[in-house]
Amino acid sequence: MKIGVPVLLLALLVYPFVLNDPFYHDIGVALLLAAISASAWNIVGGYAGQVSVGHGMFFGIGAYVPLLVYQHGAWPPVVGVPIGIVLSVLLAAAIGYPTFRLRGHYFSMATIAVAELIRIYVGTVDYLGAAIGLQGPAVGRGWWDLTFRGELPYYYIFLAVLAVLLYVTFEVQRSRFGSYLRSIRANERAAASLGVPVRQTKLKALMLSAAFTSVAGSLYSIKTGFIDPESGFGLLVSVQMLITAALGGAGTLFGPLVGALILVPLQAATNTWFGGSGSGLTYIIYGGIIVLLARFEPGGLYEFWHHISMRWRARHAA
Amino acid sequence: MLLEAKGVSKAFGSFFAVRNADLTVAEGEIIGLIGPNGAGKSTFFNCLAGDTIPTTGTVSLNGADLTRASPDLHARAGIGRTFQVPATFEDMTVLENVVVGAYLRHHHRAEARKKALDVLEITGLSRFADQRARVLGTPGRKRLEIARVLALEPRLMLLDEALAGLTPGEVQRAVELLRRIHGMGITLVIVEHIMEVIMTLAQRVIVFNQGHVIAHGKPEEVVQDEGVIQAYLGRNHGKRRGKS
Repeated sequence: MKIGVPVLLLALLVYPFVLNDPFYHDIGVALLLAAISASAWNIVGGYAGQVSVGHGMFFGIGAYVPLLVYQHGAWPPVVGVPIGIVLSVLLAAAIGYPTFRLRGHYFSMATIAVAELIRIYVGTVDYLGAAIGLQGPAVGRGWWDLTFRGELPYYYIFLAVLAVLLYVTFEVQRSRFGSYLRSIRANERAAASLGVPVRQTKLKALMLSAAFTSVAGSLYSIKTGFIDPESGFGLLVSVQMLITAALGGAGTLFGPLVGALILVPLQAATNTWFGGSGSGLTYIIYGGIIVLLARFEPGGLYEFWHHISMRWRARHAA
Repeated sequence: MLLEAKGVSKAFGSFFAVRNADLTVAEGEIIGLIGPNGAGKSTFFNCLAGDTIPTTGTVSLNGADLTRASPDLHARAGIGRTFQVPATFEDMTVLENVVVGAYLRHHHRAEARKKALDVLEITGLSRFADQRARVLGTPGRKRLEIARVLALEPRLMLLDEALAGLTPGEVQRAVELLRRIHGMGITLVIVEHIMEVIMTLAQRVIVFNQGHVIAHGKPEEVVQDEGVIQAYLGRNHGKRRGKS
């Protein structure tokens, strides 16, 4: 594992030069975006164990605001990124404050309900592009519009954001805050008895997670130059984050990245093999992964690896 | 008084699990709470720990009212508790479990870790420090719960059947550990079914039955109480004790 991390990071760094083709660059960008989204979800869904099924709402806000400021103010889309973060954090506080008073699945239910409400509402408001959506600058007016012809600049911007996010998560993991998050995930009642301010800690995690998810949404819309309610706030956006993190290992630093490394190429392969008729396959793959994880390894591939290495060690120690 | 619970009642609908219970605990005491299953001990215990808000009555520590305070505020005030069914953080290591408690008084990672390692030494869990809590058996997990609470540096420790399910040898070691903890200046309130433990450790005993406190006093007085014998101990208690 200790050697694996630098190797993985080095591989991500040189990937566009090894597979120097627009098709592979596109997959690389999609992979990094999935890893960023899932890693952001992981802070609250993984470490704190508060499973959000509506993180698309933060992704959507982050995606919409840059194109809104461009469309209505002719500002560079990147100006919308911090505004998106602030709005997402405020929304996170508004959802978390009442639902974290309760234990159990109320938070999950609230997130799914609010995300769907926002998606439906956005589809009816002309100012927000209604069902058609919003567009960014077709041709960049300068570098600040972040409109590049090739995928390569996006790849490295996304990689830098992922690196920052993983560093923040790493620091969270080894801090008091991280320790509290994991204790809440393990046993909320016991955590509270040890002085953990449960509600406040969960709220902080949700707000931090929402901020990074919003950044992921902004990166997506700035790169594609287009956003509509389904690609911003759709249920599949939320589910994809959850599945990616859970597949690799929710509550682990590199689990979401590992999940993205498997899922994104898999999606690209099914799209290539089956073309447009294969789009429904995504749901089947997600469903299959949920069943397999629930049945065999709820801890994801990280736990699977942990069990195998433990057995290997035990066998060789004997 | 360190802890003072006055007229505590807890109702679930029309059913009173605890009715008008009083308890005063002085600094440095060891108090035993006994009674048959379903007598209301654990509910009363939860009221003291902030896990349950009493329907009526008050709970205070050193004069500060904690009746409606959350469990984390109870911990901050100096009350630590263990659970009847061990509530260890299974996927975290033994050391990480204790560090969670140590963070209450030591905000920096290195200091919290040092405190946790000291506590593991005291509780005899050092050699399991890097193992996940789930690999420990019942005695180990009960001990880990005590270690976590010790890391809070509490003034009062509430132990909910911390010795249940242990073998006689393990009970002996646990009693030694509790004596050591008491020697550190920590006041103990113990819910326990093992009468030998109560008779050995407790300075005062409170007996619950059907939500009421039916007797309180020194252990040797309480075991002679006719109401306690009828409700909980049974006629053969003295004979069993005599044999053992």
